[in-house]
Amino acid sequence: MGITRGLVITALFGVVLFLLIPAYVPRPRFIPGFAPPPDMWPRTVSMLGMALGMLLVGLSFSRKTEALADPEDASTLRGGTPLATLLTRFAWTVLAFALFIGAVSLLGFLLSSILLLMAMLVLTGYWRHKIVATIVAIVLPLLLYLFFSSALNTRFPVGSLFRAFGI
Amino acid sequence: MLNDLLVAFQAVATMENFLIMAAGIWGGVIIGAIPGMTGTMAVTLALPFTFYMQPIPSILLLVALYKGSTYGGSVSAILIKTPGTASAACTTLDGYPLAQQGKAGKALNMALYSSCTGDFISNLSLIFIAAPLALLALRIGPPEYFMLMIFALTTVAGVSGRSLLLGLVSACLGLLLATVGEDMYGSFRFDLTVDMQSGLAVAPVLIGLFAIPELLKIIVFRNNQSHKPMQLGDNRVTRDELRRSLKAMLKGSMIGVVMGAIPGIGPSAAAFSSYGEAQRSSKNRENFGKGELEGIAASESANNGCCGSTMIPLLALGVPGDVITGVMLGAFMIHGMTPGPMLFENNLHEVYMLFIGMLFSSVLLFGAGKATMRFFSHISRIPPGLMAPIVLALCVFGIFSISNSMYDVIVLLAMGVFGFFMFLFAIPAAPFLIAFILGPMLEENLRRALALSRGDPSILVSSPITWLFACLAIFVVVVTIRQQLKKTQV
Repeated sequence: MGITRGLVITALFGVVLFLLIPAYVPRPRFIPGFAPPPDMWPRTVSMLGMALGMLLVGLSFSRKTEALADPEDASTLRGGTPLATLLTRFAWTVLAFALFIGAVSLLGFLLSSILLLMAMLVLTGYWRHKIVATIVAIVLPLLLYLFFSSALNTRFPVGSLFRAFGI
Repeated sequence: MLNDLLVAFQAVATMENFLIMAAGIWGGVIIGAIPGMTGTMAVTLALPFTFYMQPIPSILLLVALYKGSTYGGSVSAILIKTPGTASAACTTLDGYPLAQQGKAGKALNMALYSSCTGDFISNLSLIFIAAPLALLALRIGPPEYFMLMIFALTTVAGVSGRSLLLGLVSACLGLLLATVGEDMYGSFRFDLTVDMQSGLAVAPVLIGLFAIPELLKIIVFRNNQSHKPMQLGDNRVTRDELRRSLKAMLKGSMIGVVMGAIPGIGPSAAAFSSYGEAQRSSKNRENFGKGELEGIAASESANNGCCGSTMIPLLALGVPGDVITGVMLGAFMIHGMTPGPMLFENNLHEVYMLFIGMLFSSVLLFGAGKATMRFFSHISRIPPGLMAPIVLALCVFGIFSISNSMYDVIVLLAMGVFGFFMFLFAIPAAPFLIAFILGPMLEENLRRALALSRGDPSILVSSPITWLFACLAIFVVVVTIRQQLKKTQV
């Protein structure tokens, strides 16, 4: 775990330092006074992050210093569940998030939220209490929608589908 | 000062403010009592609502939520052996055995008395320490501020997780994310999309980082048991029991005040230190862990003792010591107030209103705790599998309402996934958030200091104050590394 984590951290900061900063942090032609350029701080932090990542990798090789780099064993988090099952559950959740973001422009905020809540209740395993879960999935977003739109004047997206039907 | 406090008293003592504080305390107690829901979550969930409120009521609401949730954590700790918040873990040791003996009501009452005592003493310390500290802070410039923030970040990184290195990595990630958007001279950085030119708002980042990973943990690891609560049973704390626990209560309050004022330490460490001290000095030390009221008094007075004092570095220096005060810093900024020494110059009336409001909230905590004790045994039964999706709905609606933008909702969900990865890699979230909030100030002070010195970095170690903070930061690093190495040899 320690080596993998160290490598991932080093790679993450490396991508920022060597790819993102040159592309997305332009240096202005003129900098007033002796002010440091805008890329100074992100570069410093990225270099520090890379150094820490490499240190984590290095320390993971020695048993004596391993605790500084790897405080806990990943298997304790996992329990006896197979990795494939955990990854599938995670992938479904991320997919539900992505579908929610995509669905807002089509179905509107309210309906998308109801569907997202239903998906989450299924994924947490609470859907077996069908009546309570259905009531929560429909009533809660409806109440929140009414509260925010009437009390706080929030304008939620209606969705192109509903707009096409003139709702 | 006394005159100012009296004027502030009149301004705070309105029905509207009382209702807001009562709602905050009550909401906090309920959220704190639900296992898996923390004070941080209570405060972050309420943040979007504060956008529509006046500055002081909004801060009072957040403070009330913090205090309520800190006490609420003890409810599930006593009734179902599951601390609602990390700081209540110590309360479980004696609270649950008392509940098993049919004395859950007695344990809850003792937790309430101790929490209110600790909270009140902590508020008094805030009133008398924050202002002089702020006066002192007025004398420090950009290099000193930069070193102070480095010290605060190092402390938070050192004590937040089990590895200092991972805490520092977390802080670096937060600092990096804080650079997204426009910098102090008008340059855009990391503007991958047009929306990103305005940077990342504090609310979606911190709510995403703290609330969404909890949902993902429940979904992925399916840790979804519901609990059967104990009956309250024997309810009264006798005068003799109260007198016996008074020493532990007062000592715990002082430990809470001191540890809360140091950035990064927080209520969990205070509760354990206080419990250890109470056990060491008690005549009934063999009874600790088997249902000793002194144990509850020590841990609860210490964790609530942090609530007021944790605001000392925030108000006086503008440096949040933990995640909750980090959120409060965000709330102050939303309302156009910048915590730090200038707050006492520009917004003195508001500061005194806050002080008075915090004292009121201690009294309200007592009332809310007493009035709702029987109701608590039902709250702690809500299963996480139902609670987590409800929290998600609150987050999504709340965040959208802040700026009427789906961009913030995308940031919220993306940060949730990122926070889950951080959890998998055992990278603590607290240093990330503190660094994200302090990042712009840290960079601004560094760039100002370098501009003042014409690019010479030695300005960062040019005064005794910068040296002091640099030495303290190095001391924290050395002590943390020593402790972590010692743990491996055991």
